[in-house]
Amino acid sequence: MLWRIDPAGDDALYAQLVAQVHLAVARGELAAGDRLPAARELAGSLDLNVHTVLKAYQRLRDEGLIELRRGRGAVVTARAEADLPPVERALAALVRAARAANLSAETTAVLVREAMNR
Amino acid sequence: MTSSSARKVVLWSSLAALVLLAVAAIVVWSWRDDLPDPIASHWGAGSAPDGFSSPGVFVLAIAVMVVVLCALFGAIGWHWGSSAATRRMAAASSVWIGGFGACLLVFTLGPQRGLDDATLARLPGWALAATLLLPLVPAVVAALLVPGDRHAPATGPVAADAARIALAGGERAVWIRRADGGTGLVVGAIAIAGLVLLAVALRQWALLAAPVLLAVVFAAMFGFTVRVDATGLTVRSLVGWPGTHIPADEVERASVTEVRPFRQFGGWGWRVGRGGRVGVVLRAGDALLVERTGGRSFVVTVDDAATGAALLNTLADRARP
Repeated sequence: MLWRIDPAGDDALYAQLVAQVHLAVARGELAAGDRLPAARELAGSLDLNVHTVLKAYQRLRDEGLIELRRGRGAVVTARAEADLPPVERALAALVRAARAANLSAETTAVLVREAMNR
Repeated sequence: MTSSSARKVVLWSSLAALVLLAVAAIVVWSWRDDLPDPIASHWGAGSAPDGFSSPGVFVLAIAVMVVVLCALFGAIGWHWGSSAATRRMAAASSVWIGGFGACLLVFTLGPQRGLDDATLARLPGWALAATLLLPLVPAVVAALLVPGDRHAPATGPVAADAARIALAGGERAVWIRRADGGTGLVVGAIAIAGLVLLAVALRQWALLAAPVLLAVVFAAMFGFTVRVDATGLTVRSLVGWPGTHIPADEVERASVTEVRPFRQFGGWGWRVGRGGRVGVVLRAGDALLVERTGGRSFVVTVDDAATGAALLNTLADRARP
């Protein structure tokens, strides 16, 4: 899969990695049993500290998306697969409503984040 | 495109093959008074020979086979040897066929010295395995003697019409994908099983070395990691070897192509295909094609090759001065 890191972005580097695994799983690019790259390889290619990648992998494990096994690396779990279409339908409705209310993308994102943190 | 390094490799590897053959022919010549005429030249399923010819015709037939195949491998290296991998395979194949011809002469005729009647000729059990495997030693040496490609950065930009992905100025990206075997795995497993059965059926235990060797090759070709990052394209076997790296500044265009393993590469695994294209071919279908400087091209069969190609073009743009 494609991994990208924007050091100028708002989110922490490890959080950017976590978000991409979530997205890849939701889109079906990653399925149960798929292996994530070795932390050292990913860190080397993205010019990151290996601890940043390990922190992302640990977060994903805590969330139940992957299992970390000695010798086998990071493997996507069966629980990980999300059901994206209903979310995308709701998102389309949200975007329509936000536009009708003249809300900017930034404001809408803040509202979504607050709602999900409640 | 013929480079001087390709010509050099073809010349010395053909010469080495012919020297191996000539040495064996001289050895056989020194045996001329001890050999029966006709000699046994072929063995079937049983232990007794079923084909006979005069010693001169036998030596000539093997010499013609070696020269014809050497010329074929030489032509491949000469015309298609723009990549070091192609030159390596051409050199190794030439030297192997020379060694094979030499072993064929020595191991077929050696046991017949002192016989009056060639129908009594018996081949030792190890002869077949030794004839196939011994020439691998000079072949591997030849492959190692061929120098790798020199770093040849592109002078022009990446093809303008090639796909790109949108990447912000400071954004870093990597694409990592595993390439696994499909049909090639099945073919390899059948070949290994077949060779084991053959060795057991013939009770030629030395011949078991062939499937063991094949299993090692098979394990190395089982799966590969394909990675595109700022340094370029890296393809490496899951067991660590073989592998290759194409620097981003040598990439002229990356794209998606359709691979037909048998028609374009004559099989599966790490191959040299038509036009000297080097391929890691594990299945039919979509593959990532990289055209690089010096008229070289490389292909690897991997899923979602479109993303990998677009990222490689984008990062190759960045690698231009």
